[in-house]
Amino acid sequence: MTGSGGDAPLLADIAELLEHPDYQDHPLHAALAELYRRHLEQEMRVERLVAIADGFQRTAQEDLHATRHELQRQLRRQRKITHIADRYQALLGERNEALLGESHHDALTGLANRRLMHEYLEQLLAAKQRHHRPFTVAMIDIDHFKRINDQHGHAVGDQALVLLTEALQDALRTNDLCGRWGGEEFLVILPETTLEQAEPLMSRLCQCMRQLDIHYQGIHLNLTASMGVAEHRTRESIEQTLQRADKALLQAKREGRDRWLAAS
Amino acid sequence: MTHDLNIPGSQSTPAIQADWQAGSLCMQGDSYPENSYELFNQVIGWTERFLADATHPLTLQLELVYLNTSSVKAMMDIFDLLEEAHLDGREVRVIWRFDDRNERIGELAEEFREDCTFDFAITPMRVSV
Repeated sequence: MTGSGGDAPLLADIAELLEHPDYQDHPLHAALAELYRRHLEQEMRVERLVAIADGFQRTAQEDLHATRHELQRQLRRQRKITHIADRYQALLGERNEALLGESHHDALTGLANRRLMHEYLEQLLAAKQRHHRPFTVAMIDIDHFKRINDQHGHAVGDQALVLLTEALQDALRTNDLCGRWGGEEFLVILPETTLEQAEPLMSRLCQCMRQLDIHYQGIHLNLTASMGVAEHRTRESIEQTLQRADKALLQAKREGRDRWLAAS
Repeated sequence: MTHDLNIPGSQSTPAIQADWQAGSLCMQGDSYPENSYELFNQVIGWTERFLADATHPLTLQLELVYLNTSSVKAMMDIFDLLEEAHLDGREVRVIWRFDDRNERIGELAEEFREDCTFDFAITPMRVSV
């Protein structure tokens, strides 16, 4: 395709005129022949130029396509990496949470363990020092629990612990924390509670243990518990409060069990 | 000069063994290295050399658990190399084993597998505690 498609008939005419034997000696013949030659040469040059420019453009176009394709690929890959990495991170988060749960709870009963109770007591101590909020602790020991293990085996003993744990928790208020302190010993932490306010709750807990009817694998168990209660005193350490509660618990045992006593 | 790699694992880096003769590359453990570029460069370098110079099959055996972002990227780079080799007619395959108590790791391995056309097995295994 020539650059001057519309000129084709005119050029054909001129070529014919220049070839014609009658016009060979015409004064314009040489000038026209030269002009015609230069025109054809120019036309060819333009065509080559256009072809080269087209080639460059095509290459540039292909490069652009390839770059765009590569960009899409990289974006897709990046999204995938981010997606997978996010899922790994979620997994790690869950793993951490599980570990934290395990490090804070008793495996058998699911109750708070000593570590968590100590953390909670430290918080309450800080709240008391800042805002004078009272708190009270109760040490609870299941009476003659060793007999259950001895007579029926540890599986029954463990089951009894699980069941009485549920009963204890049902009897407590939302912000109270019940934890397993030792074998059959529990610590109940009562935030925002004075000794006086704790009294009805203690009677209720004793009652609740007494009423607990445990049926397990054909074995029927009745339990009672002894409890010692102490309100935290200003300038007293947590250990001292716990020791007073423990002493009251021992006294409750000495006085015949199945009762609660307030620490002096 | 030896063609093998034997990098002991740590808390944050996987154990890595590459055996040229056997055509096997194994990685086990967690991977959140401080300098993942340095660690995985060795693995990627080994894999590239193996695919370029050796002619026998390559098997990747993975028991990876946790991977951080740069490790995910490195693994994807390695799988890309395998994919390329596979399309060139090389025999390559991946066996990814995971603790059957943690199915999520298996699901993540499946995400990696999505774009791969070579043999990529994801196998649960019982881990004794």
